[in-house]
Amino acid sequence: MLHIFSSTHSGIRTTTLLCLFLLFPIHCFAGNNTDDIRESVIAQATEMGLWEKTEWLNLLHYSKDSDAYISKVNDEQFFYAMDGKENPEAELIETLKNLFSQTEDNNQQTQCRFVARVAWLSNQLDIDKKSLPIVDCHEYLQWYNEIRADSVTMIFPAYHLNSPSSMFGHTLLRLDNKEKADSKWLSYAVNFGANIDSDDNSMLYAFRGLAGGYPGLFITEPYFKKIQEYNRIEHRDIWEYELNLTPVETEKLVKHLWELKDVNFDYYFLDENCSYRLLELIEVARPGIELTDEFILTAIPVDTVRAMENAQLIEAVSYRPAQATEIQYILELLPDNQQQLVIDLSEDINVSNTDEFTQLSDLKQKKIVDLAYKYLRYQNTKTVRDPAIAKQSYKLLQKLSTYSADIDVSTTIPAPFPPEKAHKSKRVTIGLGERLNNKYADLGFKMAFHDLEDNKDGFLQGAQINVINLNIRAEENVGLRLYQLTFIDVFSITPRTEFFKPLSWRVYSGFERQLTFNKDQLTYHVTGGAGSTWEIIKNHQYYALAIGRLEINKQLKNALEPAIGFITGFLSHFNHTTARLEVSGEHFEDDVYRLRAQYTQNFAFSINHSIKLFARHEWHEDDVDFSDVNISYQYYF
Amino acid sequence: MKKIIAGLALLTASSSAMAVAPGGENCGWGNMLFKGQSGLGAHVIASITNGTSFNNTFGMTFGTNGCSTSGTLTYGGASMVSSIMGEFSEDVARGEGDAMDTVAVVYGIEKQDRDTFAKVMHENFAAIFPSEDVTAAEMMASMEAIMKSDATLTKYIA
Repeated sequence: MLHIFSSTHSGIRTTTLLCLFLLFPIHCFAGNNTDDIRESVIAQATEMGLWEKTEWLNLLHYSKDSDAYISKVNDEQFFYAMDGKENPEAELIETLKNLFSQTEDNNQQTQCRFVARVAWLSNQLDIDKKSLPIVDCHEYLQWYNEIRADSVTMIFPAYHLNSPSSMFGHTLLRLDNKEKADSKWLSYAVNFGANIDSDDNSMLYAFRGLAGGYPGLFITEPYFKKIQEYNRIEHRDIWEYELNLTPVETEKLVKHLWELKDVNFDYYFLDENCSYRLLELIEVARPGIELTDEFILTAIPVDTVRAMENAQLIEAVSYRPAQATEIQYILELLPDNQQQLVIDLSEDINVSNTDEFTQLSDLKQKKIVDLAYKYLRYQNTKTVRDPAIAKQSYKLLQKLSTYSADIDVSTTIPAPFPPEKAHKSKRVTIGLGERLNNKYADLGFKMAFHDLEDNKDGFLQGAQINVINLNIRAEENVGLRLYQLTFIDVFSITPRTEFFKPLSWRVYSGFERQLTFNKDQLTYHVTGGAGSTWEIIKNHQYYALAIGRLEINKQLKNALEPAIGFITGFLSHFNHTTARLEVSGEHFEDDVYRLRAQYTQNFAFSINHSIKLFARHEWHEDDVDFSDVNISYQYYF
Repeated sequence: MKKIIAGLALLTASSSAMAVAPGGENCGWGNMLFKGQSGLGAHVIASITNGTSFNNTFGMTFGTNGCSTSGTLTYGGASMVSSIMGEFSEDVARGEGDAMDTVAVVYGIEKQDRDTFAKVMHENFAAIFPSEDVTAAEMMASMEAIMKSDATLTKYIA
């Protein structure tokens, strides 16, 4: 300590002496000199109008709202200027001022903290590096060396109905390194997500997520954690899109990412979400490319993949199946008796001593043990470690290890239809029909996303997710009026098998017309239910659910009328058409009931065009019955 | 300022978790076979939002998830291996797989020696994983002893 102090002291003295001797006082006072350089740099930047450049606006996440700029970053520590959030010019000047100022902690100096801003500014302006404070950015360098990226891959974990934020899929980036190419597990993943309060329940989450109540942050962590999370725990297939960003562009992205460390953005579930933020990062990496403009109300992850594809950023696509997909695929290749062996062996290791097992070839045996282990782990994915299960699992591994490593049991799972090639997210429909003996023309718009009978290619089979589905009808004797407006409609039918026992469920809510006591009343409802689905033969399913319903209907006795009911039906997928036959009903108090049978068939004549036939007959109390039939053209865009 | 304090608290929390060695409680994710690998609770919350909850950081090194072991690997390398212990045990039993390759890369094993590594690991499954209660530290110690006594692999154990 003493040593440092005295050497500084003598340093000052030496400088002073030198000044006196050389009689160049201006150059001796480093402070003044820096001030001059700084002022000239700022003058140059102002003259060039640097603050208006796309690169600067992108780096600070400014967007133009009518005439004013506002940054999407919601964090004081990201700005130097007091009004930095709204003033790109002031922020640029303050950044330059701070660039020349010494800080107590090197890592907080502008050169270390805002590496991408500084890199760009140094490129634009005549900044003599020697005039800047000498800093050692060890925190940044340590991180940068750990990441060591030279290419970027966009990661798309597929749809996952049982989690609200993943219903539409999710996107993240992976920073790859050619040297580490043989183990992608070690690459870093970049994820933008809401930093949530773990005390919130899902309903509150949904509300706060929509309203922007959560701060969003970037997180980087090893990719194997994402594989564990998506492939293993959530059973989601992962699509990987290798981007053609150059090493130089990748470096820009990584540098900017460092600037976003611990920086809060607002997180909006629908638009400024995970996918949107990643597009902004790509815009920083490749200035001039425009990806975010088209996403005004919603940024659905798969649409952002399409935006990348349209901008010719995607170089190669690969598919990483979920563990459950793998188990299911391999199982289907086994004959029935061997499938049973897999189940039995997963429950009891002694099955490996039975004749039925030992008479099989070593290859078959190893395959069955391998699968039994995977299946046992799959079943216990979401449970707390149980010592008995752990022992059972270990015994299977022990058995597996007795087979030669040369017996290859690996199976390549063929990639299914890629999600970005599926039908698009928004839909308009035009239809003609007749209901209650009244002819009508129907105009429909759906903001997103997929109906059970829509072309299933690229989607999760048996997963319906609709958000904002509006139908307006011009009716012969009535005129133009709202027929239905559904806010949300999620319907999950996944077949049960001997191996997998998923729950089928449905939640939907919105306005719809219901004939009640001879009046075609506009009602509001919330309906939900649960049940099961069975696959009769491949691509043909039968489902049955019990439901509960709350309805606001002026014709009914209570303000909020409860009902119980059911939904049951067949869903059949053929090559270019999907058919659905459904019987459903609900029963209110005082013997008020509705029972309906309906048939829908959708013919997809290309990915984004289809013709749909619809027929329904409905029976009510007091021998009332009527029908609704229509034909419509649907266009996805 | 509040944010900085929160950040500091977080850092302290995670470094105290690191002290709970080896294969401490917050180490790894669900789907774990071996003892001391849990941490599903945090995951459930995170999965609802694609988001993060408390034990996430910017990932300065691999060591952010609370696993700790000592050995010839760096801190980050060892915590990495212990985080994929479940997957690795499966690959060792089978004789190949992504987790096997990853562990080989972490140990700096050159391409031409990877097959030997896989073969040696597979043949010594019983020694590396003597029971379902083995810890990550014990597993790595056995692995390293086995590598040391192998003519090809010994050079990777300094």
